Order: sequence, then C-alpha cells, then structure tokens
Amino acid sequence: MKFTDLLRLVLSNLGRRKGRVALTAVGVVIGTASVLVLVSLAAGLQRSATDQLWGINDLSVIEVYPGYGDVAVTESKMGGGGGGVGSPGQPKLLTPAAIAEIAALPNVERVMINDYLQAQFVIKAGKMEGYGGITGVDADDLGTLGIPLQGGTTRLDKGTVIIGSWVPRNFYDPTWRPGMPDPKPPDLLNQQIKVVMSRFTQDGTEVKKTVTLRVVGIFAETRGPADYTIYARLEDTNAWNEWARGVRINRNREGYAMLQVRANNPDNVLKLADAINALGFTANTPQAVLEGVNNFFTILQVIFGGIGAISLLVAAIGIANTMTMAILERTREIGLMKAIGATNRDVLSIFLGEAAGIGFFGGLGGMLLGLVATSVLNVLSSAYLSGQGGGMLGMGTLAAYTPAWLPLFTLVFATLVGLLSGLYPALRAATLVPVTALKYE
Amino acid sequence: MSDSVLVRCRDLRKIFVMGRQRVAALDGVNIEIPEGSLTVIMGPSGSGKSTLLYLLGGLDRPTSGSIEVAGEQLEKMDENTLAVYRRQKVGFIFQSFNLVASMTALENVAFPLRFSGIGGAERKERSRGLLRQVGLENRSHHRPTELSGGQQQRVAVARALVNRPAMILADEPTGNLDTTSGLGIMRLLSDLHRSGKTVLVVTHDPRMLHYATNRIFLLDGKVVTEQEYQAAITSMEELSMEGTHQ
Repeated sequence: MKFTDLLRLVLSNLGRRKGRVALTAVGVVIGTASVLVLVSLAAGLQRSATDQLWGINDLSVIEVYPGYGDVAVTESKMGGGGGGVGSPGQPKLLTPAAIAEIAALPNVERVMINDYLQAQFVIKAGKMEGYGGITGVDADDLGTLGIPLQGGTTRLDKGTVIIGSWVPRNFYDPTWRPGMPDPKPPDLLNQQIKVVMSRFTQDGTEVKKTVTLRVVGIFAETRGPADYTIYARLEDTNAWNEWARGVRINRNREGYAMLQVRANNPDNVLKLADAINALGFTANTPQAVLEGVNNFFTILQVIFGGIGAISLLVAAIGIANTMTMAILERTREIGLMKAIGATNRDVLSIFLGEAAGIGFFGGLGGMLLGLVATSVLNVLSSAYLSGQGGGMLGMGTLAAYTPAWLPLFTLVFATLVGLLSGLYPALRAATLVPVTALKYE
Repeated sequence: MSDSVLVRCRDLRKIFVMGRQRVAALDGVNIEIPEGSLTVIMGPSGSGKSTLLYLLGGLDRPTSGSIEVAGEQLEKMDENTLAVYRRQKVGFIFQSFNLVASMTALENVAFPLRFSGIGGAERKERSRGLLRQVGLENRSHHRPTELSGGQQQRVAVARALVNRPAMILADEPTGNLDTTSGLGIMRLLSDLHRSGKTVLVVTHDPRMLHYATNRIFLLDGKVVTEQEYQAAITSMEELSMEGTHQ
C-alpha cells in the first residue's frame, strides 16, 4: 500500500467519526498544552536566573584564588615545585612564580593580577562621598576584561581609574537631611575623585593620605562584581597598601588576592579551569556556575515536563480505548479488507495511522493552545512585575520562555503517544483471522 | 473454456472445536474444479459449503488435507503470501455484500486496488469500467445506503472483479435479495463465466443449478451424488412436513 493512499484512508476513516475523534483528541490537547506550558515555565525561570547571574559577562574569564584545599595532594604531585610555598599543608598562594606557572598552561591567553586596596578610605567627588572596592590590576588596557563601556576609554594609566556602572549610585551627600530632594548620582566620567585613606600609627594617632584620581571610563552594567569595582593600576594600589601597612609587601611570601585568567577560546574555559584547579589553586568560572544552574533547570524542565506528561498518559488511555472500540465496531470491515488482499501489515498501518492521527491533531491543538497560554502568562506576569517595580531591577524578563524546539517536540511526542497507545488495538486488528472477522456480528 | 483443473482438493478436513465438542465441517472432501467452469456447490445449512469456499479463498486454513490452486499449495502459504493470493487470484462476493458504508460505489469497487499499490487514475478508470459492466454507471457516486440490495450486490461483484482474479468465489450471493434481484445476480455471474472466468457459487437456491457447468453436492461435510442429495433433501422436507402436521 502506498504511503499517500494510507494517509488518505486514515484521514477519511478519522473523518467518519469526527465527534469521537475530537473528544479523544481533547485529552491530547490538554496534555500537550500542559507539557508545553510547564516546560516553557521552567525554561523561562532558567533564562531569568542565568540572565541575572551573569548578564553580559565574558565567559572566557576564569577567576583564580589561592588554593587552600587538597594542598598535600597537589604538593606531592607537583613535587614542591611551582609557585606555591614549599611544604605540604600550606596554601597555594598567587605568588609571581605561581602566576608564571599558570601563564605557562595551554589555552591561556593572558593572566591579569587583581589586588584589593586594604585600607580604610572614603572616596570624595565634589561635595559627595562614596564607597566601593578599589582593585588594582596589572593592565594598561581593560578591554581584555571583555566588558563593554558606557563611556570613556578602557586605557588605564597611572593616576586614573575606570569604574563599574553602579559606583556613581553609591555616592551620597553627607549634608543631606530628610525632607531635602534626593541627590542625583554624580556624573563621574572625566571627573576627579579623591581617595582619602587613613591609618593609625603605633601610638594611636590617625594619619591621612589623599590621592587624586581621574575617572577615564565607566563600564556598562554586567550584573556582576565589576559593577561596584573601581579599577586602578596595580602599582598604585600596591603603593597605597604599603603606605597603609607601613611596611614593604613581599609578594613572594604573600601572593596576590586574585587572578583573572582569560582562555584563548570560550570552549577551553572549563578545561583550563580544571588544569588550574589541578595545580592546587581555586578556579571559578562563570561557565561552571552556569553549567550547574543549567543542570538544575534541565532537571526542573524534565520534572515539569513529566508532570505535564501525566495528563498525556491519561489521554493515551483514551486513545487506546477509542481505538479498541473502533476495532470492535469495524471487525467485519477488517475481515473484508483481508478478503480483498490487505496484509496484516496493511491493517496494522491503517489502525496505527488512525491512533497516531488522533495524537497528531490533538498535539497540534495542544501546541497552539500552549503557545497562546504562554503568551497570556507572559503578558500577565510582565504586567504584574511592572506593577511591582520589578522591571527596574532587571526582573522584567519573561515568565515563560518557549525554546524553538519545544513546539515541534511536543507535536512529535503527542503523535508518538498516539501511535504507542494504538499499538495494542492495532496488533489485535492485524492478527484477526479473516473468516472470524467476516462472521463477527 | 479449457479442460484443465484450476482447483484440486485432497482429503480436505476442517474441524471446529466448540467447547468439548469437535464438529467436522468438512470431512474428507476430494474435488476438482475445472478452469473456466461455473461451479455450483449446493448444500443445506451446516453442510460445510461456506467453509469449503473460505478454505478455497484462503480466508481460513484446513485442519488437514491439501488445496491446490493453479499449481500452488494454499495450506503451505504464510500469512503474507496468503494475503497476496487473495489479492491477485480471488474475488469474493458475500451474502451481506460487505460494502464500506462511508465509501461511494466507485470507492468501494476501487478499494482492493489500494492494497495492490495501483495509482489513483488507473483505480478510477478500472472501477468506472466495471460499474458500467454491472449496469451501475450512473450510481457510481452513491453510497451503499442509497442503493437497493440488488445494486449493492452488483457493486460487490464489480469489486470482486477489479483485481482481475482467476476465480470468483460467491457465498450465497442471492441470499439477501428478492427473487428478481437474485435472478439478475445469477445472470451476471453466468455472463462472467461466459466471458471466461472461473466462478464458484455456494448456494442453496436450486435456480442457480440451471447456470452451472459443474455441480458439487455437500451433506454433513461430505461430497455426495446429486441423487443422494435429492433423496436427503426430500426426506428432510417430508420430516419437516410431518412436524408441521402434528
């Protein structure tokens, strides 16, 4: 039997009992729609979670911190070599030797040292005072961080700083009193800020030091730690830290706070992070976190999809029931088909086709209903969130997100469910003895 | 008309098990059906005549014995080969017509061709020609419910012919028809025989014997002579007459 003939026959057979087919398909419509909506909800949650976690951050960058665990293992493996402090049980510090060791790893594009200003300080911009972390970096150009600029330049010279997008928001007017209008965040680009540091001498006297810095660039929002960081040159922060402590800092003994290691290719990031971890350091990658988050949400999608699939299972029983009834009613017709030359396979194909057809049409209806339902859900949730002011905090992302593959998947799945539920009745029909079927009353 | 044998049955038995009882519907049947004949198989209800027809048509399998049709042994065929045999070698006509109610006359006639994989255009052409042959050209788009019993059976005859089979098997084709329609179908079958087809008719309608070139009489699953058959029928009639007088 030709496929087109089979298709026509199946369609005309389904058309013979429209009411019953439609009622059976309603079950599939509900099941398919619930699978689509629930998986879309899980995918939407995943999207908004990953968006908020990592925003537009560069996925090629690995943050490396000193290693405090597994030191003994690493030391024995490394034979005491590398940049760490020699004896087992001691942490693996980010000393210049260790940095050279990491820089020599394959897939490393560049290593950037990060060190924090560890002093008490206040930042002043005109009348306003602010706070924020000051991080020293050993780079002339912060373009390597991969963060887009809101304004200014990425070029970092001695005596200049580049600030994160939220830094201006952390400035306040010390003379502000309740009742006065809220002060606006200062426009810091190309302005001078003063960092007033203080330390106490051994006799308890407070000593202050003021440095004037020029803001040469502002980064765009990353929704990450860079947003509230003030980047300065490493030699500047080093000098200020030494002033604050009152002694020279030996980096071979103390190491640096953190390294930003950039991989030559985003695909190599996890491999490189593993290599750095194997050396005994602690490597964090947004990718690793992202992977964990994604794994969690994939499981959530499967669970949500499974809940939706329960209603599809109920629909499948409905299809099986309808097909069993149809076969009882059409037993003589099956006998006739066999008498005029239909093979068992022909009969099987016809009844499987009818069951799959119910699944397909139900799936089609369910897919459309599901798509409409997710759109309605999104409209409602964005209306609710904007009412809550959530949109301002970047919470205005969609409640449900339907990946491109999902509608097609649900349609194929519903058709398969139909096909499988028709299997037993169709097999029964196909194996009927022709003469028994013809004599069936 | 040739004298060669198309169908040959040897020691054919069909035993049905009903509960604890074993009923022999056919009990050692040996027959030969010449090619191009119009064979009438006569027998009262329960004589096994329909069972014989179904076995010859490959719709059922014998308990023992052999059926040879055009040199092929039916009892040795698997399900698939048997389906192909039914499709290519035989055309069935049933007492209750067995038309598909949702299909028009034309679609019903063309139905077997779908399983032969023949294209739509040829299906229509062949079916139209056959409906013309059985005198229903102007009824081709009517559904079975819009046709009389005689017309429905003509559609069934056309359907039986559509695959150009070697043999037409008719099971009580006039059983559900009034006298005139029944006669029309008998003539139609006789015309088919005259055009060279081998026709096998199972019936208990004695009028059909007038058209027969070959007669087989069955009583209790056994082949008997015409005299034995007539004697048995007469005694059965006498018995039933006595029953009515009492």
